Amino acid sequence: MRPVAAASDPTRHFFQPIIVCLTVASVALTLFVIWISLHDLSLMRAGREKFVGLDNYIRFLGDPRAMAALWRTVLFTVLATAIEIALGLAVVLFLDRDFAMKRLVRTLLLVPIIMTPVVVGLTWRFLFDPATGMANYLLSLVGIAQVDWLGSPRIALFSVLVADIWQWTPFVILLVMAALESAPTDPLNAARVDGAREWQVTWYVLLPMLRRALAIVALIRAIDSIKAFDLFYIMTRGGPALSTETLNYYGYIVAFTNFDISYALAIAIILTVFTNVALLTMYSVLFPKTGDR
Amino acid sequence: MARRALFYVGLALLLLAVLFPLYWVVVTSFKTTRDAFAIPPVWLFSPTLDNYRTVFANRGFLSAFANSFIVSILSSALAVTVGSAAAYGLAQQPAELRRAREKFILSLRIAPALLFVIPMYYLATRIGALNKHWLLIAAYAFVNVPFAISLLITFFDDIPKELRDAARVDGAREFSIFWHVYLPAARGGIIATLILCVLFTWNEFFVALVLTGRDTQTLPVSITSFLTFQGIQWGALTAAATLIMLPMIVLGVLVQGQVVRGMTLGSVKG
Repeated sequence: MRPVAAASDPTRHFFQPIIVCLTVASVALTLFVIWISLHDLSLMRAGREKFVGLDNYIRFLGDPRAMAALWRTVLFTVLATAIEIALGLAVVLFLDRDFAMKRLVRTLLLVPIIMTPVVVGLTWRFLFDPATGMANYLLSLVGIAQVDWLGSPRIALFSVLVADIWQWTPFVILLVMAALESAPTDPLNAARVDGAREWQVTWYVLLPMLRRALAIVALIRAIDSIKAFDLFYIMTRGGPALSTETLNYYGYIVAFTNFDISYALAIAIILTVFTNVALLTMYSVLFPKTGDR
Repeated sequence: MARRALFYVGLALLLLAVLFPLYWVVVTSFKTTRDAFAIPPVWLFSPTLDNYRTVFANRGFLSAFANSFIVSILSSALAVTVGSAAAYGLAQQPAELRRAREKFILSLRIAPALLFVIPMYYLATRIGALNKHWLLIAAYAFVNVPFAISLLITFFDDIPKELRDAARVDGAREFSIFWHVYLPAARGGIIATLILCVLFTWNEFFVALVLTGRDTQTLPVSITSFLTFQGIQWGALTAAATLIMLPMIVLGVLVQGQVVRGMTLGSVKG
């Protein structure tokens, strides 16, 4: 297509400096982070750092608080991703028809996604207020006893989950909707002509067509759920009784409340490795040895 | 007919679930304290601007507004400038080389923010940069550049290759092709990218929480100050929340088509 694609192609000068900068920055950062995590460095005891090898990683394995946080991260990520995908898909199938205000509905669905996450946290904290919140008022209307949404260790994690689902299910809806609209309608009609029932068309023809889009959205939601921070900070601060402390949040506490920099970075590295492992596992499950991309 | 009615009931419930929390916050910001905490809730009331007066009387909030503004605009402009050049260069490369670079850029966005924020904090305390605006601008530019590149590549790809070839036949140098052909042709996409970067930076909390000091607090950090003293002042808090998010929602709705596209790539951010 292009006449001259020589090695001295001047367009390289446009991106190479930036790629080099980003590479140097990320390599330097990685080495620095690993180096610190192998030391015992705390802002509380400046100038007394010493090399401790893998101690911080061994400490992690024997730290019940970290293990509980890791488990909670897994629970939150799995629940958030699964519920958001299922709910989002259900809404997309429900909206899959022509109606007058479709464009308007789509615009309104955008609102939770672009709302400031801190404000989303505050909003739900407001709605979940035990005495004056809307959630308990609605429950009282249907005669259900008050719930201590954010104050009960058994419930708080699920209350944060509700806020996360509220903010991000529309994201799933919008992306899957876009995929559905660009999908060909011929196979659907062919199946209908062949006498397939509507649920069979959905299950055997439509869902396989949406698989790729759903898989990508699931990956994105999983990555974001592992790293979720804002909602936890605003709604519960990891409490009550550490019942909503995820690994990311625990890392933050270790770094900026205890100022235990080395241990915090060991946690950050473990979190990164964990994210990548989860990602690769999900990827190979969602895209079983297909050649594309 | 019954099915149709059922559909619209379902649609109404969906919109109610999506919009009610937002509605409730905005409406509460116009209520007196007594109305805000009434049970059963007050649906009709005479609005008051008292909460907004409280917020505007708060000097910390005003300076946070200025900080958020400066930091989001400057870091986004920086990211889009650097990102445009890089995206232009990458868009001209053969597929293989380009895909490898794109993968690397994408991988930068998977790591948790904790990983780079702790070292940045540690270094900043040593050189005394914690309370400086440039630290925050640099941090956000670092986060926004990969996002801007991957989004801008898709916009530059939409520009027909013939335009470029024609300019080359006319003897134009690379920089003037970039400046006179690509930038004007991708103007819409560049503005959308800029807006998405601003949106992200304006809303971002974690990096700001760690890297800001008294003088550099951004809005999401500053609003948490309403949470601590003497319980929660929900009136002022909802007014502040409304002031923070409404401009971004308006902006986001204006570029809605691009938002969905950008979010796909963007939510893999750091």
